[in-house]
Amino acid sequence: MAHQAHSYHMVDPSPWPIFGAAAALLTTSGLIMWFHYNSSVLLTLGLISMLLVMLQWWRDIVRESTFQGHHTPTVQKGLRYGMILFITSEAFFFLGFFWAFFHSSLAPTPELGGQWPPTGIKPLNPMEVPLLNTAILLASGITVTWAHHSITEGNRKHAIHALTLTILLGFYFTALQAMEYHEAPFSIADSVYGSTFFVATGFHGLHVIIGSSFLTVCLFRLIKFHFTSDHHFGFEAAAWYWHFVDVIWLFLYMTIYWWGS
Amino acid sequence: AGTGTGTGTGTGTEREREPGEGGEAAGSRSDGAAPPAGDLASDQEQATGLERKVLEAMNKGLVSGGCSLPPPPGEEDNSCVIWFWLHKGEAQRCPSCGAHYKLIPHELPH
Repeated sequence: MAHQAHSYHMVDPSPWPIFGAAAALLTTSGLIMWFHYNSSVLLTLGLISMLLVMLQWWRDIVRESTFQGHHTPTVQKGLRYGMILFITSEAFFFLGFFWAFFHSSLAPTPELGGQWPPTGIKPLNPMEVPLLNTAILLASGITVTWAHHSITEGNRKHAIHALTLTILLGFYFTALQAMEYHEAPFSIADSVYGSTFFVATGFHGLHVIIGSSFLTVCLFRLIKFHFTSDHHFGFEAAAWYWHFVDVIWLFLYMTIYWWGS
Repeated sequence: AGTGTGTGTGTGTEREREPGEGGEAAGSRSDGAAPPAGDLASDQEQATGLERKVLEAMNKGLVSGGCSLPPPPGEEDNSCVIWFWLHKGEAQRCPSCGAHYKLIPHELPH
């Protein structure tokens, strides 16, 4: 009968945590080697091993949950808390970069010409591509909600359509941002304006790529019938993350793009 | 309505839905039948392992969902937990309701 008298998941021994730590060490030291000694071997090794750990760790979680049934409501509750805490930590991460932006832009120094944007900087027009990007992410927030409703109603066809649309919108955003980066008249080296602009929007873009990847994995799992109309937390976590990415963009747009121009 | 002939654009064959069926949650079918091919299953249909055991116990009313509602009027109020140390040896009685409790060794089969 029952092999345990509780509804928690006592995970089997796994190599992924320590391999993940090793990958993190390779990646961080690899960054140093790349920044200071013009060598990208360690960084490449680090990123590849990080990717391999992520694929195999999350593959194991899908096996434990969907195929072995270890994710009881109790376990799911813990995962919900975990995802909320993680997203909160990411919010604080971005808070730092917004702080840096306001520190420099609210009291522009004489070196910048005592103004913001600094003398000589031609900021991007917030009413052009950035506004389109805002519309794209807002629309993707609607389509991901449509996908969620479709899942809870058991409608697989609509869920697949809506989630695919969400992912395509995410790719469209990324493509447009890449083009903007390429065409921008200023670079990251252009005073603290360039630093704050590209670090804040750059990390946001990275999170869009992460979120799109998460949603893509969910699309594969949706197609393969992993989710039920009641239990689909992987999708919910991806949707929460996606909404978070959208909100960060809205703050970026209002502060750096619009007020900052 | 019969089964539609699927042209398979990756979503499988789909049964034509009869009017009035749209929007019905997959898990709430009264006839207990499997959902039409191409739709998502419910936990009742697809859950496995310990998750399924918990689900079945909850359906049978053996285990609560976790929330504590006030008891209906007339029922005894059992919502306060009485804590006390239980020592090996002689059976002890709950200081509130007097039920007997005895500490015994027990190992789960594994």
